[in-house]
Amino acid sequence: MPVPSSSKKRKQTAAQETDSSDADELPQVGLDMLSDEEAEEDGLPHSDEEQVDEFPEIDAASDSEEDSDALEAEEDEDEEDEDEEDEEDGSGSGSSSEGDLHIFPRAKTIISDITGQEKKVYPDIEPDYDSDSSTEDAPNRVGNIPMHWYDDLPHVGYSIDGKKVLKPARGDELDKFLQTVEDPTAWTSAFDKNTQMDKPLTSEELDIIRRLQAHENPDAAYNPYEPTVEWFTGKGKEEIMPLSSAPEPKRRWVPSKWEKQKVMKIVRAIRQGRILPSKPKTTSAQQQFYAIWNEEPSAHAPPLPAPKPRLPTHAESYNPPEEYLPTDEERKAWEDTEKEDRERDYLPQKYGSLRLVPAYGQFIQQRFGRQLDLYLAPRIQRPKLNIDPDSLVPKLPSPNSLRPFPSYRSLRFSHTKGRVRSISVSPDGAWVVSADEQGIVSLWEVIIGREVKRWTMGEKVGAVEWCPRTDVSFFVVATEEMLHFLIPPNLPHAVLTATQLLLAPPTLPPALPVPSPVKWTNSSAISSEKPILSVELPKSSGVPKQIAWHRKGDYFATVSNAEGQGGVWIHQMSRRHSQAPFRKVKGSVQLVLFHPSKPQFFVATQRYVRLYNLAEQKLLKTLMPGIRWISSMDVHPSGDHLIVGGYDRKLCWFDLELSEKPYKIMRYHSRAIRSLQFHPTYPLFASSSDDGSIQVFHARVYNDLMTDPLIVPLKILRGHEVQEGLGVLQVKWVPKQPWLVSAGADSNVLVWCH
Amino acid sequence: MGRLRQKGKAGAAKAYITRSMAVKKLQCSLADFRRLCILKGIFPREPRSRKKANKGSSAPTSFYYTKDIAYIAHEPVLKKLREHKAFAKRLARALGRGEWSSAKSLEDNKPVYRLDHIIKERYPTFVDAVRDIDDALCMIFLFASLPSTSRVPASLVENCSRLAAEWQLYVMHTHALRKVFLSIKGVYYQAEVMDQTVTWLVPYQFTQNIPADVDVRVMLTFLELYQTLLGFVFFKLYTDAGLVYPPPLDAKKEEAAAGVGAYDLQESSREPVAAATKSTAVEVDGKKVSGKNVRQAIKALAATASSDPDDTNMVVDDETTQPQDAEEDFIPQPSTSHPEEAASLPTLRTLSSLPQSTSSTLLSSFVFFLSRETSRPIFEFLVRSFGGRIGWPASSGGGSPFEEDDESITHVIIDRPLIERPRETDEERERRRRRKFVQPQWVVDSINAGKPLPEEPYTQGKPLPPHLSPFGDRAGAYDPSAATGVDNTMVQAESDGSEVDGEEEDGDEDAEDETEEHKAALAAGDDSATRAAELAAEAAGVDYGTFEKQVAKSQKKAKETRVADVPDADESMNKMMMSNKQRKLYDKLKYTERKRAAENAKLEERKKALQKAKRKQEKAG
Repeated sequence: MPVPSSSKKRKQTAAQETDSSDADELPQVGLDMLSDEEAEEDGLPHSDEEQVDEFPEIDAASDSEEDSDALEAEEDEDEEDEDEEDEEDGSGSGSSSEGDLHIFPRAKTIISDITGQEKKVYPDIEPDYDSDSSTEDAPNRVGNIPMHWYDDLPHVGYSIDGKKVLKPARGDELDKFLQTVEDPTAWTSAFDKNTQMDKPLTSEELDIIRRLQAHENPDAAYNPYEPTVEWFTGKGKEEIMPLSSAPEPKRRWVPSKWEKQKVMKIVRAIRQGRILPSKPKTTSAQQQFYAIWNEEPSAHAPPLPAPKPRLPTHAESYNPPEEYLPTDEERKAWEDTEKEDRERDYLPQKYGSLRLVPAYGQFIQQRFGRQLDLYLAPRIQRPKLNIDPDSLVPKLPSPNSLRPFPSYRSLRFSHTKGRVRSISVSPDGAWVVSADEQGIVSLWEVIIGREVKRWTMGEKVGAVEWCPRTDVSFFVVATEEMLHFLIPPNLPHAVLTATQLLLAPPTLPPALPVPSPVKWTNSSAISSEKPILSVELPKSSGVPKQIAWHRKGDYFATVSNAEGQGGVWIHQMSRRHSQAPFRKVKGSVQLVLFHPSKPQFFVATQRYVRLYNLAEQKLLKTLMPGIRWISSMDVHPSGDHLIVGGYDRKLCWFDLELSEKPYKIMRYHSRAIRSLQFHPTYPLFASSSDDGSIQVFHARVYNDLMTDPLIVPLKILRGHEVQEGLGVLQVKWVPKQPWLVSAGADSNVLVWCH
Repeated sequence: MGRLRQKGKAGAAKAYITRSMAVKKLQCSLADFRRLCILKGIFPREPRSRKKANKGSSAPTSFYYTKDIAYIAHEPVLKKLREHKAFAKRLARALGRGEWSSAKSLEDNKPVYRLDHIIKERYPTFVDAVRDIDDALCMIFLFASLPSTSRVPASLVENCSRLAAEWQLYVMHTHALRKVFLSIKGVYYQAEVMDQTVTWLVPYQFTQNIPADVDVRVMLTFLELYQTLLGFVFFKLYTDAGLVYPPPLDAKKEEAAAGVGAYDLQESSREPVAAATKSTAVEVDGKKVSGKNVRQAIKALAATASSDPDDTNMVVDDETTQPQDAEEDFIPQPSTSHPEEAASLPTLRTLSSLPQSTSSTLLSSFVFFLSRETSRPIFEFLVRSFGGRIGWPASSGGGSPFEEDDESITHVIIDRPLIERPRETDEERERRRRRKFVQPQWVVDSINAGKPLPEEPYTQGKPLPPHLSPFGDRAGAYDPSAATGVDNTMVQAESDGSEVDGEEEDGDEDAEDETEEHKAALAAGDDSATRAAELAAEAAGVDYGTFEKQVAKSQKKAKETRVADVPDADESMNKMMMSNKQRKLYDKLKYTERKRAAENAKLEERKKALQKAKRKQEKAG
């Protein structure tokens, strides 16, 4: 019997290699325990045991690890088991054939007695316990448990009888080392957990390891190049029997009657000429026309027809009237312009008779151009504007019906040289005081232009202004940081004394507790040559460019270019006191004005006009004229309307009752507007500009709120010359007369009368 | 809060599509897109804001309506164009492989698109179509006169000339022609068909060649559409007029260059016969078939018998239609029973036909003969559409109804200078005396005037009066005919004044005149100044009479300027009160007004100068 003998042989070898005491039993242990059921059964009690034993160090996670370890171990053991079997069989057959490893014993080929054919006869398997290694007793029956449980114990488990299986003697590390050195088979042995000792690997196992390392199939018996076995194909294996036993149908061999009929139909049609064989389908398609417009047209609106080209005019005639023929310059100009820019695409030509007319060279190009227009040019429908341009001009009353207004120049008063920057007309309308840039201030009569007196200030004069009071008579001249109060000569005695009393009172009013930077000083001697009173503005405030009197003549305001506080000062005559109304002003102040009837104050900065209430000291309104740089401003005597002029030629009319935006914006001067003024009594206003002209308007303001103010341009007055880009610098109306006084950069002052 | 609006999802961005986007959307080539646009009549649009339509980009592009493009996307022609692309590939492959038979069968089954549906779509009613045939006619007449090249096949030219002839036949038959204008570009004709004025331009008969800077493909695409359109329009016009369409072509006459006369106008009552003749004619074309010969022989016999060797069918038609027209004019049957009612209620038809009837028979009492240097196609068409009869020498083509020595000829249209004829027989002289020799412009001017003009200014060899456009100019433009009378008197007055000084002084006098006039103008104000000026003039040696005249003139001028000035000044001041928008509009209007006035003034001035020069020449010569 080969099998028992082989196991015995192996046992013998094992016994030789291991300790003699356990040699018989120990190798069997690992090989024996590994049927699946056993493993499961073994595994479960183990886990129960674990729980029961309550190893404090091991938590649940480690449990599972343990379990998985255990399972792996089981699997390992499974493999091992198979290996063992292999090894066993191999060793069984290994004796007979070296290297060729077979699981089963080799079959013998004998000749059968019955059939006489060759047959394979396998050796019988003896079904006793010794025949299979799996049935061998393993000395240690603890199963697949972590063997470190037995680390502290002298034994490694229990035999089937419940006796302890003692640990084999193991030397220390030095012994182990010596063993590996001494034992030549040490490198082919592996540690067996169950028996706690090294176990040499069999040659089969080593072969498997070698194959795995070489990435080969671990099964040595596997042949990847086995010859194919033809089971179902090949010669002699064809299907012979039919699937259906029905007889072959007639249609398989009789020609179709219906096909014949169809073919015959076509043949007949061809014979009769109804069908033309190989008729060219497209080339013969001469367009067939029919009554396409007989059906109802669709409800869709037809597309807009293309615009028709312009019809030819007389100039296109072959024999046009001679005046149409171009001159040489016109011909040249036409030839020089680009084709697209030409007003017409041909030059008129004249031929004596029709037979002389040549072909038109551009004919095809022009047809092509028309076609390009048709499909490439966007079309826009534009309503044709058929209106008389003169109907656009507003209908205004004739200026003749709005007389009186100044229409001609009545006299001229000339300063020697220097631009006349400012003029002022006395409140009784008899005198004009004019000041030029040389510092000469002249007083002259409006009616005849006779100069009565001349003052030389010695420095540039920024502004002159009469006091509007009629019981006193004096005017203020603004020079560098100074305001001078001058009394005209030849005053009636009563007026003169009143004026002197006002300007140089014998008892000065009590000084205010707060000291002011503005100093009021009276001159020592009272004469008409020297200013009777001077007001010294704070340092570096520059030349005041405007003096604005309050209508009652007690207050007046000055504007200069000074930084901070806006350079605006309000002076009070009766208390000889000056104050700056604004702590801080946004933007540089250009002009100021007192409201004619209310305690209100207009301040024009570069772009905006602000209206303040002086009594309540607050901002009422900000007007936005939309002018880049405001140059001039005046308020209507009614106090409800304001005109603002700018250096950008615009004039804005504000209705203060309405919006903050202008009611009307006009632009008629060709250069910057310099000055504006409403007439105090007549419905007139005038504007002067750097283009040297003065425009007089009729401006009627109605009391009811419904009617818009009527503004009619009346007259353009020209008489000033433009010098160095400056024209008429200031215009002033003569009170009580529709007369205008204008000062220009040409150092002339003109009076315009009606 | 409403739904959020995404940019580019509504409004102009959605309504417009750029051309490249359109091409991409239609998945066709740019050439195909162009073709589709031409055929469907789709043209670019100008969005109100290009930036909004182009998703913020202001690049120069052309925009189309997105709906237009979506509409083309379902066009059968587009499908055919795609099929044609596939066909071209197949054919190229077959040719490349040398598979001639398959290439031939492919070629035979080439996809071809039809434009019938497009015609119906673009012109839902017949009147729409008639309104839009101007360009079509211009193109047809142009291509009828082109030589055939590789790009312009002969069949196309032939078809165009056939269509042109058909149109002329129809216009002649219905006497629809209204105005003619001989311009430097060609001859403009204007006809009234279906109450629509149709104007077309025919180039003079010279061989034209398509220049290199013209894209022939575009022209041919347009021509494709126009041929179809005109075919349908003519079909409708002919059938409405009771004629057969297409009119059968007489091949023999065509060969003899009979032009328009080669076509037979046939009443549709004779339709079966016409069909039969047509079929035989088609078969016959080159060969000789006895049936046709017989028929022609009979025709010829009939023509000679009626002693009217005109294009027989045409004459028959004219004779049959004209009496009908005449009858129709008198037709108002109720007039016999209720004369006043009929008189008070003229129908629309009679109203429209009234001027037509007068003008259509304008030349009916004349018999013309064309001299060989005049253009036969133009004058045959003109004369026959106004009811006249016309003959021409054999050199101008066959089919002339009568010879030069026919006694009925009243006018000879001749366009060459007068020459002496020393060897003239009496008979010829007699004939010359009886006939009137007029230049071609007489016919055209008479047609435009609506009445036969006197022949005197147009006789042979005379310098012609100017030929004016019957279409006129825009309103308010310079009118050369009206201006003559006024100018004459003015010039007369002027010359009267200047004659005192003598003509030769004219040049240097002008400068002197100015200074004196200036003085006089200054003086015109008051008496003392006048006296001073008078003294000055005397010192300068100007006699009193001329001084008086100048003073009067300058006074008048001053008054005029003053009168003109005062309202001008007013207005210029009132203009201050205009709003900016109004002022801009006003300036624009005034600009054009001034420009036109300047143009008119220039022309008038030039005319005056010309007349002056002419008079001077007359005086000298």
